[in-house]
Parts: sequence; C-alpha cells; structure tokens
Amino acid sequence: MSDTLTRTDRAAAPARSTRLDPVTFEVLKNAFATSVDLMSEQILRTCYSFVIYSRDFSSALCDARGNTVMQGSGDIAVHVGTLHFQAKAVIEQFEGDIHPGDVFAINDPYRGGTHFNDVSFVRPVFSQGRIIAFAQNKGHWADIGGNVPGSFDVSASEHFGEGLRIPPVRVWSKGVFLHDVAQLLVANTRAPEQALGDLHAQSEATAVCEREVLRLVERYGTETVELAMQETQDYVERTVRRRLADLPQGRWETVDYLDLDPGKPEGLVPVKIVMTLDGEGIHYDLEGSADVVDTFLNSGYGTTFSAIYAGTKTFFPDVPLNSGFYAAVTAEIGPEGTVVNAGWPHAVTGFCSGPYEKLMNGIFEIWSQIMPERAMACAFNLEYLLVGGRDSRREENPYFMWYDWMAGGWGGRSSKDGSTATAPVFGVGLAVQACEGQERLTPVLTTMHRIGTDSGGPGRFRGGCGVEKGGTLTDADASVMSYCCDRARSITWGIEGGLPSIPHGVWLNRDTDNERFLGSIFSSVPVQPGDTFYRPSAGGGGFGDPLDRSPEEVLEDVIDDYVSVERAEADYGVVVIPVDPDLDAYELDRERTAERRAYIRAHRRAWLEEDPARIAEQYRAGEIDLLDVIRRHGVILDWGTGELFSETTRQHRQQMIRRSASHWSS
Amino acid sequence: MSNVRVAVDVGGTFTDVCIFDDDTQQMRITKVPSTPSDPMEAVMHGVERGEIDLAQVAQFSHGTTVATNALITRNFPAAALVTTRGFRDVLEIRDGTKDDLWDAYNDVSEPYIRRRDRFEVTERIDYNGNTITALDEDEARALADLLKRRGVKTIAVCFLNSYANAAHETRMREIIEETIPDATVSTSAEVLPEIFEYPRFNTAVANAVLAPLVSGYVNRLASRLTEGGYRGDLLLLHSGGGSMTPRLVEKFPVRLAASGIAAGAISAKHIAQQCGYDNAVSLDMGGTSTDIALVADGELRVSQEWQVEYGHPIIFPSIEVLTIGAGGGSLAHIDIAGSLRNGPQSAGADPGPACYGTGGTQPTNTDANVVLGRLGTSLAGGAKHLEKSLAEEAIRATIAEPLGMDLEEAAHAIVAVANANMADAVRLVSIRRGYDPRDFALLAFGGAGALHGADVARELGIPTVVVPPSPGVTSAMGCLLVDIQHDFAHMYTGLASGADEEGIEQEFVALENEASARLRHEGVADEDGLLQRKISMRYQGQWRSLQVPMGSGPGALEQAVRTFHEQYEREFAFRQDDAPVEVYQLHLTAVGKIPKPSFRPAEVVEQKPGEPEDRRRVYFGSDGWLDTPVYERDALAAGTAFSGPAIITQLDSTTVVPPHTNAEIDEWLNIRIHLEEISS
Repeated sequence: MSDTLTRTDRAAAPARSTRLDPVTFEVLKNAFATSVDLMSEQILRTCYSFVIYSRDFSSALCDARGNTVMQGSGDIAVHVGTLHFQAKAVIEQFEGDIHPGDVFAINDPYRGGTHFNDVSFVRPVFSQGRIIAFAQNKGHWADIGGNVPGSFDVSASEHFGEGLRIPPVRVWSKGVFLHDVAQLLVANTRAPEQALGDLHAQSEATAVCEREVLRLVERYGTETVELAMQETQDYVERTVRRRLADLPQGRWETVDYLDLDPGKPEGLVPVKIVMTLDGEGIHYDLEGSADVVDTFLNSGYGTTFSAIYAGTKTFFPDVPLNSGFYAAVTAEIGPEGTVVNAGWPHAVTGFCSGPYEKLMNGIFEIWSQIMPERAMACAFNLEYLLVGGRDSRREENPYFMWYDWMAGGWGGRSSKDGSTATAPVFGVGLAVQACEGQERLTPVLTTMHRIGTDSGGPGRFRGGCGVEKGGTLTDADASVMSYCCDRARSITWGIEGGLPSIPHGVWLNRDTDNERFLGSIFSSVPVQPGDTFYRPSAGGGGFGDPLDRSPEEVLEDVIDDYVSVERAEADYGVVVIPVDPDLDAYELDRERTAERRAYIRAHRRAWLEEDPARIAEQYRAGEIDLLDVIRRHGVILDWGTGELFSETTRQHRQQMIRRSASHWSS
Repeated sequence: MSNVRVAVDVGGTFTDVCIFDDDTQQMRITKVPSTPSDPMEAVMHGVERGEIDLAQVAQFSHGTTVATNALITRNFPAAALVTTRGFRDVLEIRDGTKDDLWDAYNDVSEPYIRRRDRFEVTERIDYNGNTITALDEDEARALADLLKRRGVKTIAVCFLNSYANAAHETRMREIIEETIPDATVSTSAEVLPEIFEYPRFNTAVANAVLAPLVSGYVNRLASRLTEGGYRGDLLLLHSGGGSMTPRLVEKFPVRLAASGIAAGAISAKHIAQQCGYDNAVSLDMGGTSTDIALVADGELRVSQEWQVEYGHPIIFPSIEVLTIGAGGGSLAHIDIAGSLRNGPQSAGADPGPACYGTGGTQPTNTDANVVLGRLGTSLAGGAKHLEKSLAEEAIRATIAEPLGMDLEEAAHAIVAVANANMADAVRLVSIRRGYDPRDFALLAFGGAGALHGADVARELGIPTVVVPPSPGVTSAMGCLLVDIQHDFAHMYTGLASGADEEGIEQEFVALENEASARLRHEGVADEDGLLQRKISMRYQGQWRSLQVPMGSGPGALEQAVRTFHEQYEREFAFRQDDAPVEVYQLHLTAVGKIPKPSFRPAEVVEQKPGEPEDRRRVYFGSDGWLDTPVYERDALAAGTAFSGPAIITQLDSTTVVPPHTNAEIDEWLNIRIHLEEISS
C-alpha cells in the first residue's frame, strides 16, 4: 500500500483560525483526553489478558471520518498511529450500515492493524441521528489461536497458521450481542473464556468513552463538540509545523539492520531511512529497505507508520498525539513486498522485534543530530520468550503459557548515561511481570532476574544496563519454547564514538554439557522438566568516546558492579584496584590508566581491521572474550559455535566505523 | 479535668497548632516556624506559645511530613537490603515502566537502596510456600557479619514468595539481630503480606529506611509530651485517613508516608460538608508545595497504591492527593531559554524567601506578594517581620531587569505563572476525572492558599471560593477529625462457588483477633472498637479485584458475591452473572472510635464591616494599584458582607479579595468569595 492511501485523508486546513473560545476549546480538548483515559482506566481494571494488564493496550477517540482526535496518554507506543486506520477500515466496510448500539471487532494487520493478538473494538457514537465519533479500544489478547501458544509463530512466513484474522466484523448489532459471531472468534483461541472476558471488557470500555462524549454533547451541543474534535487535530498540526520553523532544513539518512533472513545467505537485513525537513513538514522515505524476510519479522504499513510517528514523537514529547500529528509527518514507504511494507499474506506478527524498533532507533539517530540535547544511542531490542505446554501441577493438566518479556538498557545520551532496566521503546508503559505472579500461573521457576554487569555499551555516557533472566521448567508436559527477538548480530549500537552493548539470544542449559545457544529467533524447541534457560536483554549503546569518561565515574560503576574491574580496563582503559570490595574500597591507578588509555587509543583502529577469521578462531579457543570480539574487533559470530559470519561482520564493521570509530579522537 | 484537644501539623515552613476546647467549643490556633533539622522543637515551641497545659489535654494528634520529606530528599540512614539469590535488583528493575512515556530524558528516580547495598543469600520458597532451597544459615551468618562490618543497622529482608511462607525472612531477621543487636529489621511479609515482589519489596524497604528517623522522632515526641503531663496516647495521622499510636509507628513507619497530606484532604471534606457543597476541590498551598484533593459527591478518593515519586509504590490504602511544587517559597527564575518559570524548586524554611532576611536572594511567591502589597510586612502575628526592600531587590535583580519589566509588572508576572500552574493541576485532577471545575467550589487554605485562591478560581471559571476561619491550620484541624484505624489483609485465592466458607470464616476470625489485639495495644477500649470485614473478588481470569463488604456466618460469601456483581455493574457498567467469581483477598479494617469535637455555628447578623484596620495600595494587574482596605479577620462577624478589593489578615494567613468580587462571612466563619462575572 502506498502512502497516499495510508496518509490521513482529512481535508486539512491548518491555516483556518479557531472558532471556539479558548476556555471551551481547552475544556473540550481535556475532556476528550479524559474520555479516552477513562476508557483505559476501565480496561486496566476489567481485563483478563495479562498482556493487556501489563499495559499492552490503547484507546482512542476518532471523529466521524475515523481520524484520531485523542489517543490515551498512557498508551503503548506501538499502537500509536494505527487506531485511525482501523476506524477507517470499519467505515469502509460498513458505511451506511452502522447503527447505534453496534460494536465492531477488527485485528487485521493488512488493514492497518498491528498483529493478530491486538484486537480492536470500535463503537460508533451517535448524536442527532448521525455518527459524530468512534470510540476504540485495542488490547493484546494472550492467545489468538494458530500453531503456537501465544500465537507468536516464529517460523511462519505467511499468516495462515499464525492465528485468527479478523477483518471488520459486527459483534453487537443495535445493542444485541451476536453470540454466534463472538463464539466464532473466541473458539479459535486457546483460552476461549478469557478471550470472551476481554471481548466484553473492551467493548464495555468503549461505552465509557461514548458516555463521556454524549455528556459533552448534552452540555455543549453536537456542533460544538464536532468542531472541537476538528480543532483539536488542527491544534496539534499547527504546533508541530510551528516547531519546525525553528529547526534546520535538510536531508538526513541512516540504516539499521535486522539480524538475518533465513531464506537468504547470512548477512544483515537493511532498513533504510531518509528524512527531509523542508520547513513544511517532516518527510520520511524508506526506499532501499530489504525485501520481505522469510520469518515473521516483517512490518505491515500500519506498524511502519506507527514506528515513524512514535520515533518522531520522542523528539516532540509534549505534543499530543492525533491525526493532526499524522498530517504533519508524512512517509513514502514504497511498494508492497518489503520488510517495511510486507502486504498480504506475509507474516508480520513479529514486526515489533523486527523493523519496528529498527525504524524507531534509526529515527532517534537522525534526530540526535538535529536536536543534540535530546540525542540517544540505540536501545535494547524488544523480546518475548514463550514457553507453552501442559501444567502437570494440576490434575486437569491445563495449557499454560509462560509468556515473558524483559526490560533492558536504553542508549547513552548527550548529557547522561542511558536508562537502566527500562521497558522497550516499543512501549515504555509495558510493565514486566512479577515473577511471583508467573510462578503461581505456570510451572516455571525463575532462578534469577537481575541487572547484567557490563551489559551497557561503553561511552562517555554509558548505555543503560540490560537485565538477565534465568528459569527452570518444573512440572510440565509436552512443552516447547519459542523466542521472538533480534540483535544477536545487529548488535545494539553506540553513537558519537560510543561502543555497542551485548548480543541478545537464549541459552539452553548454559554451563552444562548440554549447553546450546538458540539465538535470537527460534520456534518450538522442545523442553523437558529440569531444563534451564537463560537470556540477557541488551544494554543501550554508548554515547561518546569511552576513553573520555572520567575514571571516577567508571569507579562508581565498578563499586555498584554495573561494570566489572576487567571491563573497566578493557572498555574504558581505567585501572581499578580492589582494596577491600566488602567495604566498597577500591583505588584508581591513575598512572596505569593513562598508559592503558594511550595504548587503546593507539591500537583501536587497527583492532577493527584484524582478520575476522583469526578473531573467530581465538574466540573458539577461549583466548578472547565475547565482548572483545564485538566491541574491540567488530566481528560477529554464532555465539554458541564460534562460526564466523563474514558478510554480517563486514556490514557490522562498516556501521561501527561510521557510528563509533569516525568520532574517536586519535 | 482534661478538656482540650490539640492537633499539630508540621509543614515545610510552618508548624501549626490547633487547640479545641470541648467546654467552650472554641478553637484557638498558634503558628510557629518549622525546624526541619528537628521538627519536634517547633512542636514543643508551639505548645509553649499556645500556652497549652499538657496535663489538661485529652487528645494530642499529629500529622507529620517527616516521613514524606525523608522519602523525597532520600534522607535515609545507611541501609541494606537482603534478598533471595538472583534477585538483587528487584528494586531497580521495578516493572521497567516510566512515568513520562515520551520524554527519553525524563527518568524514573533512583531506588531507595543503592545496588552496592543490596545483598543476596541462598534460599528459595515456591508459590505455594514450599521450601525449594533451605536458607543457607552459614551464608546468612556471614552476610550478617559483613553488614556489621559495614556498620549498617537499618535492614530490609525481602525474599521471593515470602507472602506464602515467611519462615526464611523471619529466620534471617533472627540471625541479623543476633549479630547486630541494635539493628532495625523490616521483613517484607510482615510489612505487607501480599503477592508481587516489587511493590512488596519497595514497601518494606521504604518502611526500613524510614524506621530510625520516623519512629525515633515519634518516640521522642511522645516522651516529651508525657514528661509535660500528657496522659493519653500521641495519635499520628496515617496515609489512609486514620490515626495510629507510636507503638505501631515503630513497626510500620511507612504508614505515615502521606500523613501530612491526608490531614488537609480530611479537612477539605469536612468544610465542603459544612458549607453544603457535594463537589469541592481544595487548594492547600503551603511554603513549598500545594496539595490538591477532590471531594466528589461528598467523598474523598482512596487509592490502594500511593507513591511519593513514580516507580516507588507504597501499597497501603491512601487518600488520593495531587501534590505539585508550587508554594509560597517556590523560586521564580528565568530558564535557559529566557522564559519566566516558577518552582518547583523552593527556598524552603532555610534560607527562605528573600524578604525573610535569612540569606535568601532568589525571589519567591512570598516576595512577589509582598511587593504587590498583598502580603503585609508582618507575619504570624508579628512573630515574623518581612523586609520589603529585600523582596524588591531580589525581584529586580533576578526577574525585572533581565526581562526589562517594571518591578510590579515582574512581581505580578511571577504570581500569574504560579496561579496558572495551580490551575493546570486542578484541571488535571478534576477535568481529567471527567469533572468540569466550574461545577466545584474552591476551598483555599494552607498558609498561602487564600492569597492565590480567588485568582486561581478565576482562571478556572470557578464561581465560589471558600476560605476557612483558620486557613493556615486547616490541615491540623483534620487531625482532630479522625479515628484510630488499621487495615489488615490476607491472601486467599480460590473460586467463590464451592469455597471453603468455614475456612474463610476462620481466616477472618484470625484477622479479627490480630486486629483486636492491635486496638487493645493502641489503648482502645473494647466498646470503642469496630471491625469491618471486606473481601476482594474478581471474575476468574481478571487481574484487578473489587472490594466489597463481607458479613459473617453462613451465607455471607453468597451475599458478598451478589454485592460484587452489583458493585461491578455500578462501577464498570456491565456484569457477568454466569462468569465464575474468584476470591482474591480478605480485608479487615479495625477502627478505634475517638469522640469528635462538635463545632457550633455562629449567629448570622447581616452587616457591613467596621472601619478597616489599615489601608494600603495593592497591585491588581489590569486594575493597577488600588487603595485597599485591610481588615482583621477576627473583626469580621458572621453575616458581614463587602466587595473587593480587600485584604483580610489574621495570625496564620492573608486573604486577598480581588476587585470585581463580593464576599461574605458565613455561619462557620468561612469567607465565601463570589466572582462577579462568573457567578452573575
């Protein structure tokens, strides 16, 4: 689908003067926000899906044409800029046949949706016999059927086995609940009662918004409310355009990568971004991005636009989100068949770990040059580990799903270190689950959940630290494990001379004879009771040259064990002598620090050019450390076997020279 | 004969003392400067200034911000966390979320205990309370020795799944106490026996780090009062709107985390009730911050989760109050982009506003009000003299000259920014809750609330402002209006249908025994004790639960399920009668009834005010400098009516009645200000 169709098709009139008085406008604008936030508050308190409960949901009030007037203030980033597509899909499908008391469901990623798990409920709001708005709530159902529990089928390359696809369908008709349709939907999931619970809860939440809008109509009149919906969009568009007036004009570009396309030889998969500021608007062009990959890490047009809006919004944090924003930010996402505009029937469920965050981080990198005071290096990659099977702790042997995602590190910034153990950029409201809750519900015992020492990318401002989580499967039958992530090879990068962090990836039975590195994306690996698994989330990339970080700051990191004594020397050239670690007593050896830093400075460019095959050999022989392979030599291997990926290494080194080495002082 | 009730509220700038005489039904007030280095000094100073004979005091109640301030400023003793191996970072990983979803530079604040002070020990209990790995006692002892070497005496012990079995936590505590006999140890299961490690750990850690400071303070104050002849219990207002005695504060200091904040909200509800307003929003503006509480349909909102800062939850029922950094002492400054800002930084009590002459050179709202003539140069009944020239100098140097403004223009701009900030915050709590502020009355109190109240109301389109008789000690009055109250909970998960009713009854009886023991421990006579059962339930598969009242005996559970369906429908507009209902938690609220003061209305006689005490020039923005009468509040009897502009001074506050308003004194001696163009 091309951008001309996906762009908001509103008759924008940004220059039109406002017709509402300032108080009424302010009251209504805030009341719209309230009506949407109330919807969110209700869904949070009535939902069944633990994924929704962890804040993977969003709410919006759309106008009669489906354009978004207000999106929930606590909404997950990934849904940003997709709700209007779905309201429009309902209008397209049912125009002329929409009635008071109707509620529609839709989850179709080929009509601007996110992925099948994200089911939207859309309720028309009527006044004076006409539609004046649509209230919408979108929430991530824990399961939507398909081949694997949780409906994240990593091996899918087409959508047919992934889960239930719901084009716009009516679930309530003039206030009457359509049991048959609802049953058809929920019977295709692994937990029909839960799904039915969420179906009711979400639909009722949209009624809360309807009630609020009608209260406003009663007080201010239909026309005033309609006018305020339009002016709220105009206001946002005007705000963005005025901000642009103070920014330079020009063209910026970058490229970020997915790890691999299993349908092709090894090599990173490019997501290319060009951005132009012309004083009128913000324009993106994704030409040059790779063809669809042979996994489900593709993005449909809805989520590609979402990434573009969310990435841009990060640099305009105080501007509210609605279709006015989408009017000021445009994109040419190219023809269907690419990793950023996959199209039917390519699998796109894993977009969130794939192109989505590559786009967001790439956009961060571009804007970091335009607004250095908001600059930020790359953040860790969104990841989901799924263990599903039968829970033999209970007689009924029910299905269980241990569906887990981690916090991780965000990139170093131009004035401070990156944020440690933070929710993914895909949704900073996405709460990690309490281990105690998971242990009640599933036969998985968490053995550790802690910050990863040395996981933050070194820099003048260190990347935030990632997290490590380990678990053991206890009383379970017929269980399999799947993982949806990326950046085991396209390592989380630094900027302005900062260094990369660490690779993502899952280890099975680590430090035993059965140890296996399963990588960052795999499907349905059988697991037995007693099996242990471990995975880190990456830290953020570093910002600025690590040799410019003061030894005192490095020492503080060592005391807190964010950085080990060994990496303090290897990454920062800072020599720390433990005196009595029990009492936090360490000393800086300033003389050796100066020597060490001079040595690194003299050799680091050459290290990046050493023969990758030799580095791989040394890694396999246990002579050098994984972090040296990545941070010092820019070489990418299979971290389990030590096999060299030559093309991947070539690409990785190229970006590392651009982002890191070219900024180092000699 | 004990016939006096005393309530003391410690704020950032002033300590307020409220004295109610049961015989005459009259209230007196005293206000003394706070003493942040030791708040007790100010309390005792206030007792002295109020000429209180402690032997005559029947009830001494106290709201304190000692705990809140300690959490905000991280004024903690050296402390350590001992936790399950592998879980050192629960406090820092939290749930990973950020308050500010879009500003990538706005981080969640640091955990209460740094990583270097968090230690692991080998042990593990499963979800069912079974031991998977026994507590390694050798390791535990070695760790206790290490803590001793590190000189730590404040320790939180937080183990995974301890809500299901607290044995390891308890044993660890014993080992620490054997090694460090004077250690204060908080265990997570004792502080909050609830599932979910992060909120439980954080609540326990907050309890631990507050313990030395808060219980030390409370105990010292209690013994000083006893020495003075007070024979009752010191009552401390807690976050949930009840009070507790020092014996319990020692164990649960974290319950005082919102003590000072709850008092103002309770007063707001009381005033709204008195005045006959179902809907009111309170603006309790003190020296460093403003608390905003909403009384909607006559009730305050209570939340199960409260936090001083985002990301640091304290899981106890707490009255919902929004606090913003705008107070009399908020600093005005020009930011890097050249625009005028106001707060949230505050001059506090030290150095204080420039006009205090105590070393402050940055202008505050207080300085601006002095320059505008709104505030006189004598505060707290002459206890504090304000130096106008210092206020002028600070505003001239910091604001007026850089912006090229006249002095009064600059002072007015400072106040206007403060008012807009407060109006925004009121919008946040009202409009964002679906209420239109225009349907509310604004209750203005706190030391500075009545100075700004009418302007904020105008900004919001609110037609009426109520200024209570003693605005500066209104919060303190809230302390007079509460009972002793404790909340207990017990996890109980299972389907309601076919649940072991007898088992649930037994659990409630056990909670009741614990609660009765606690009330007795608090010195509550049996006939004054009241136990209320509640039960939280949800539709099976849901994540949040709803609390409903629970009876006793056969059929109680069935009735509670019916109530659950009804209440669920009332709150969420739908119900699912066919869906299985799950019990989640049993709750017990124990109330120790305390007799309340009875207030007597004054006789209303319609009249004009007498001769003003004084007249002075006051600046009112577009109206310019106006010759304005200054009245003594005490001289304004019930029924007095007048038009703005007027200034009303009293010991604890100054009220600004701007031009284009009418004011009257009601039967409770409140000033009610009606904004003309809004109300007409």
